[in-house]
Amino acid sequence: MQQAQGTAKRPEDRSTEFVAVEGGKETASAGTLLVAAYLVMWALLLAFVWIGWRRGQQLATRLDSLEKALDRHDSAKS
Amino acid sequence: MQGPAKKPPLGIFPFLVAATLGVFLWLIQFVFFKAPVAQAEAGGLAQKIFYFHVPSAYAMYLCGVVCLVSSVAYLLSLTDKWNAWAQAGAECAVVFGIMVLTSGPIWAKKAWGVYWVWDPRLTTSLLSVLVYVAVVVLRAFAGDGEAERKFAAALGVLGTVNLPIIHYSVRKWGGNHPTLISQGGGGLKHPDMQLALGIGFLAMTLLSVVLLALRARQLSLASRVGRAEERAVAAGLTEGT
Repeated sequence: MQQAQGTAKRPEDRSTEFVAVEGGKETASAGTLLVAAYLVMWALLLAFVWIGWRRGQQLATRLDSLEKALDRHDSAKS
Repeated sequence: MQGPAKKPPLGIFPFLVAATLGVFLWLIQFVFFKAPVAQAEAGGLAQKIFYFHVPSAYAMYLCGVVCLVSSVAYLLSLTDKWNAWAQAGAECAVVFGIMVLTSGPIWAKKAWGVYWVWDPRLTTSLLSVLVYVAVVVLRAFAGDGEAERKFAAALGVLGTVNLPIIHYSVRKWGGNHPTLISQGGGGLKHPDMQLALGIGFLAMTLLSVVLLALRARQLSLASRVGRAEERAVAAGLTEGT
């Protein structure tokens, strides 16, 4: 655990590179974390799109009632 | 009598959406099946989160800049169009900011053993996202008057002023957050790692343009509908709510 090894005290002590490793010994938890991160990202994105779609529907409802009011006004005039 | 309103042309938007989807599919398959696994200290397989964590942060910067420019333009012109773009910029900055603040800790759990440390970059990123959340909440609950719009625009400017502090925090202060890009971009030691990051940047650029354009257009329409409603109420066509 890098945190236990100590947080870098100076900017130059930070990690500065990622190197590719052959085979890359891995545990299942890293794969789970990777998939979880992707799922969270897509869930957020879909939630934003869904909220946008809902707002679009609300806008359409407001336009409908405006159009109905105009129709009523037109028929009252004629 | 006026005929039905013409539908506005879609222009390049469908192609932009298709390109975004295509690049994202390419990115996902490349990251999962082609990009190499990094050293264990960087999180091993979990390091692949990097390829959308960093582009998400970049997209947050991009949306923040849109929020800043549009907020300043709104304060100078007081038009619905710039107000819509300023709000869209703040909302998209929140979305990408939350992506950064969720993907980062998940990766950190593997690389550092903990989800969160009060590292300068993490702290300044959180602060910036909270400022944009404040802009969104203010716009959602404080009404849509000119004073509220001006205050939200000023807050949007403040949120973006914090972005350079996030960027340079890794150079100025110690902490855990790696600094691969900030020091010349030479930290990715494999060409496929560099390509994956490049695709990530392209994907997030396209996505942010699509989301910003969609949301700004919707907000612009909402302003027009709001004004039409006000006129309808004034003319006695409908009852105000």
